[in-house]
Amino acid sequence: MQQATTNGTQFETPAEINVETLVHDDKIHASLYTDPHIFEQELEKIFYRVWVFVGHDSEVPEPGDYVTRQIGRQPVLMVRDKAGAVSVFLNRCAHRGTLVCPAESGNARAFTCPYHGWTYDLSGQLTGVPFPGAYGPDFNKGDHHLPRVARCDSYRGFVFASLSPEGPSLAEHLGIASRLIDRACDLSPEGELDLSAGWVKHRYMSNWKMIPENDTDGYHLGFVHRSVLKSAGSQYQLFIGEESNNKGLLRDWGNGHTEIEFSTGYKQPFEWFGGAPDKYAAYLAQLEHSCGKAEADRRVFEGPPHALIFPNLFLAEMNIALFYPLDAEESIQWHTPMFLKGVPELNTRLLRQSEAAMGPASFLLPEDITIASRNQAGLHARQPEWLDLSRGRNREYVDEQGRIVAHFTDEVTNRAFWKHYRTLMAQV
Amino acid sequence: MLSDTEYRAVEAFLYTEARLADEARYAEWEALWEDDAIYWVPAHPSGDTDPRRQMSHIYDNRSRIATRIKLLQSGYRYSQEPASFMRRLISNIEIEKTDAGEFVVGSNFLLLELSVQARHDLRQWGGRTIHKLRWVDGQLKMFWKQVLLVNAAEPLPNLTFLI
Ligand code: FES
Ligand SMILES: [Fe+2]
Repeated sequence: MQQATTNGTQFETPAEINVETLVHDDKIHASLYTDPHIFEQELEKIFYRVWVFVGHDSEVPEPGDYVTRQIGRQPVLMVRDKAGAVSVFLNRCAHRGTLVCPAESGNARAFTCPYHGWTYDLSGQLTGVPFPGAYGPDFNKGDHHLPRVARCDSYRGFVFASLSPEGPSLAEHLGIASRLIDRACDLSPEGELDLSAGWVKHRYMSNWKMIPENDTDGYHLGFVHRSVLKSAGSQYQLFIGEESNNKGLLRDWGNGHTEIEFSTGYKQPFEWFGGAPDKYAAYLAQLEHSCGKAEADRRVFEGPPHALIFPNLFLAEMNIALFYPLDAEESIQWHTPMFLKGVPELNTRLLRQSEAAMGPASFLLPEDITIASRNQAGLHARQPEWLDLSRGRNREYVDEQGRIVAHFTDEVTNRAFWKHYRTLMAQV
Repeated sequence: MLSDTEYRAVEAFLYTEARLADEARYAEWEALWEDDAIYWVPAHPSGDTDPRRQMSHIYDNRSRIATRIKLLQSGYRYSQEPASFMRRLISNIEIEKTDAGEFVVGSNFLLLELSVQARHDLRQWGGRTIHKLRWVDGQLKMFWKQVLLVNAAEPLPNLTFLI
């Protein structure tokens, strides 16, 4: 593997590290968080191969609407075309490689490259080349469309892309974890989400893998978030204190998808929304109308998922988050409130709840991020070499849906992440 | 018409508010607020976002300001434990007096933050603040503070100090 340095020269990296040897069932090697060569391999073997969450179709409701994102270091563009289809392109002019779309979001009739004026329509076809006489008769515009990602697919509005033409389909990648996405969407009486409130972006001074690990780690809750648990009312109070009183569960859904199940510890409906069920009577009536009383009661009791869809989508209860790796020691997480279609009066409350939960000025995530930076700093100490991953191995079990389940404070979710990581990193 | 005395009083308020925030004097800072408080840091630098439909970094009413302060005073707000060292400069002050005798005050700020919670990073923050102030028993109090960060829409590090 070669890597370019900033002054343009090339140097050989050390002999390819066999990353899979650094991941065991019950321990992982500390260098996985700090080694820049491992980071480069992760881009190639994970972010440039597997299904990566790009955006949600409610972000581009009208033809011509677009958003720009990144897959690893590669800039991409998600667009809705005239026929209503959503596509993901690499954000790179087919001529000399300029970003065809520099803005983060907007609406366009066509994309015109600012460098030499090549123009692409919403389906990526090259429609205009200024001064075309300079090209011979064998120049075919059809050969120079905006590069599409190798594969693009969506599930209930969540748009994913894979930069590899081969590999499992999106349905295979999600597997039974598609039910986690269903659980989110089914909270809407219309069965649809609306991610239109804009994204708040938060910088992590830590390796990207600490994000999915921490997102479904139950063990840290009572410690890292002690300030909010002490100072404000929170449903999370049900999940701290005596181990035996904590009825929350962790689950491994396969393929690196993991979950914290809070609802097994809830005492009443709407616990996830601050309790007080009578406040939500109108919403509940709408939900009953769409799916029947028993099902509606079940949905508002269980609430939203708290789950990680490997590698970069976090269904964060009433928020949707995505994250980017920047380098071995820095990452970015974006989040937006999960608005439910059909119940606008609920969504303003969701906005305020979202601002309290996630983002740089919120009451929860800044603590996770601070601890992650201390974690990152600590891992530069070279001893001990391995991090233990064995919590709860003695008491986990497989449930009737095929998920591995363990107590809220165990490490079944971290093991699930690393197991899938090892499989991906072992590929040639 | 704004009198010289009023101008000086408003200016002094801005400096005091900035110093209390810089020095993590949470209770004294909180005491500057009126009950109809709005403390608003939009997630976009333009200032024309709609907080009922679009995300903000902060959109606190009085009770959420109180919670924010309680967290900072808890001893477990690790993102400000220990508190950042900060100093901010304030300039370009423009003051309007409303018919109700309240003040709408625009000012620019540049803030240096030494974040000491994990790595020691020197960070700079800047933008424009709109304060709304009124006299209460001979003291100026604020009932509105909107902070338009120039980098509001970028990935930000923790913003849990008093901005
Ligand atoms: S690089 Fe886009 S037109 Fe030349
Ligand atoms: Fe956390």
